[in-house]
Amino acid sequence: MIYFDNSATTPCLPEAGAEALKYMTSGYFNPAAAYAPAVQTEREVNAARAAILSEISREPGDLIFTSCGTESNNTAIFGSLAAMRGKGRVIASGVEHPSVYEAAIALREQGYDVVFAPVDETGKVRLDGLAALINGETRLVSIMHVNNESGAVNDISAIRGLIKKASPDCLLHVDGVQAFMKMPPVPCDLYSVSGHKLHAPKGVGALYVKKGVKIRPYLVGGGQETGLRSGTTNVPGIMAFSFAVHDFAAHRDEYVSGMAEVKNRLYSNLSSIRDVKLNGPEPGSGAPHILNVSFMGVRGEVLLNALSERGLMVSTGSACAAHKRGRNRILNAMGILGERQDGAIRFSFSHFNTVAEADAAAGLIEEQVNLLRRFRRR
Amino acid sequence: MEKVLLVRYTEIHLKGLNRPYFERALIDNMKRSLRGLSPVIEREQGRIYVRGISEENFSEALDRLTRVFGIHSISPAVSVDKDWETVVGAALGLMEKRLEAADAGTSFKVFARRSDKHYFMNSDQINKELGGRVLNRFPSLHVDVHKPEIKLSVEIRESAYVYCEEIPGANGMPTGTAGKASLLISGGIDSPVAGYMMAKRGLTLSAVHFYSYPYTSERARDKVVELTKLVSRYAGEIKLFLVPFTDIQMTIYEKCPEKETTVIMRRLMMRIAERIAKSEGALALITGESLGQVASQTLEALCVTNDAVSMPVFRPLIGFDKDEIMDIARRIGTYETSILPYEDCCTVFVPKHPVTKPKLDELRASEASVDFSGMIEKAIENTEIMTVK
Repeated sequence: MIYFDNSATTPCLPEAGAEALKYMTSGYFNPAAAYAPAVQTEREVNAARAAILSEISREPGDLIFTSCGTESNNTAIFGSLAAMRGKGRVIASGVEHPSVYEAAIALREQGYDVVFAPVDETGKVRLDGLAALINGETRLVSIMHVNNESGAVNDISAIRGLIKKASPDCLLHVDGVQAFMKMPPVPCDLYSVSGHKLHAPKGVGALYVKKGVKIRPYLVGGGQETGLRSGTTNVPGIMAFSFAVHDFAAHRDEYVSGMAEVKNRLYSNLSSIRDVKLNGPEPGSGAPHILNVSFMGVRGEVLLNALSERGLMVSTGSACAAHKRGRNRILNAMGILGERQDGAIRFSFSHFNTVAEADAAAGLIEEQVNLLRRFRRR
Repeated sequence: MEKVLLVRYTEIHLKGLNRPYFERALIDNMKRSLRGLSPVIEREQGRIYVRGISEENFSEALDRLTRVFGIHSISPAVSVDKDWETVVGAALGLMEKRLEAADAGTSFKVFARRSDKHYFMNSDQINKELGGRVLNRFPSLHVDVHKPEIKLSVEIRESAYVYCEEIPGANGMPTGTAGKASLLISGGIDSPVAGYMMAKRGLTLSAVHFYSYPYTSERARDKVVELTKLVSRYAGEIKLFLVPFTDIQMTIYEKCPEKETTVIMRRLMMRIAERIAKSEGALALITGESLGQVASQTLEALCVTNDAVSMPVFRPLIGFDKDEIMDIARRIGTYETSILPYEDCCTVFVPKHPVTKPKLDELRASEASVDFSGMIEKAIENTEIMTVK
């Protein structure tokens, strides 16, 4: 099987899985308990926290462990606004993940002035468009670091500069689920990450909270995570996450350049098929692991099914949106419509993928695209 | 005191000498529906009594019976000794419970029936006597003999039955009493409703689904299995035939005129379904077609499709609007599954401008220009069969 859907989830590193098992079977203590082995577990969790934190930000702050990227995004958005006085403007981009986009829609119903920033044809937030939206009443801006469907990378430093100029108290939240470890850290107030996109198990995520930023907790109870996220600490998930982060950090250049090589190879192979259109930034300038192309005259879902039968796993859009009927919100915002939207396929890579896989995949795709084009709507 | 479900049945009583046959079928279906709940089912004077259901399973049993065709209504009743004070006690207890509901109402009427003619009061006396006791106990109520909001029924038989609720059943005829037919099931809204409606008239169903592996997904297949399962909650066990259809579709698409592809595809589907139906002992086909809904459901297209088979084709939705079909789908619980967005075999290969008024001669000629027989045999041979219940 060739797995090119790593933006949906990644295989867990066996060693990260072993680490989780260790903390389920021998280091299983509740870090909130008082006896010595529990204290030891707590120390290990805190060491993991510090290690992951150091990869997210160079500015002082805290890391709250959560259950997933969605919880991190929801906590960042609802939690930070709940800790502020009054309601003002909230800005998100039009291509955010549903866990940000739907949160913004919910805020609008609560009476916030919610506006969506425009993106260019690659899915990158337009700075001029964003600048025009930021006013003195703006409380929160939420912009993703890397777009999960197109691989576009936002210029977070520039965005932060815009915000500080126009509304100094406004917070910047960055959904870093697709970018974490693959892109250099960016300055912001809140940053969301998720373990399973990085070869840790599902069920663990984290939210970076810059020093001084206030959050009102959504889950209350035992007061874990300095009171910001109650619930028994997910020690196995956290320790596996930490392992995966260590592993990535130790091989970063190799991993990132490996993914980029697979991506570039696949794109150059696919470019030889006629009527293929790139959706997103030129491969050299986007995130190293996401490639989105349209095969004109072919329906993405049909091609996906045909490829799946031949052992190649790809996606027609974010797995979180694939169950929803209707048109693709992200591609709509990028101005990719009609036949080009219908034929869009996203490929996403991990360091486990190889150039040989890219070659084999391109062969399968070409064969199926040519076959299906014979049956296109004439 | 024992809790009993008192079941009234539908037009079976019209069936003259065949009546025992229908009653037996209904009781068998009720037993099947209540499997695992250890029911004791008895038939008596035009009613069916279900006893032996434990307290915790009572509402589950009631719910299942509302999906058994042939049942007109169901009353959860208590059965008590005929001693008058015991009867009154049971009636007051039931009324008390009934009045807990916010919309219970304030008017009532007692309906007494006495088949035990040796009982010391007649029906009229029971009505008056019990009515008085209810009024004493619940002074906020009043009697309304014309339009009572609460109907308190007392039946004096070998023992006494008291109830004040009548829950509508699924009506129709007992499944299996009308023979067997094969439903062509897609993944859409209409075909499960069509299957439901014909099962309601007493048919046992089998179902035939065509899929375009690998171009339709595993989820599309799971969806059809799930829809069949939802229909089987009413229709009982359904044998589902999953027919691989990709080769035939691709051949049609490559060799026949493009605008005719949909109608030819439907003719071949009907042919294969008829073959499967015959092998199953089914005497008719069922489709979810509705006149004029899409290009392949115009009168002309239906004539051309019909021409492919000799069996009767039942189209219970033929005169229904989409909205009406959707209402039934929601009521029987298939709607939410039907609208899951997966490509199905009819949407994978579809012409942009299908012919809306196909001519039978032309279609026959186009179809005859290709030899489909080998492909049809192969599709039937590779059909997967599963029992869904």
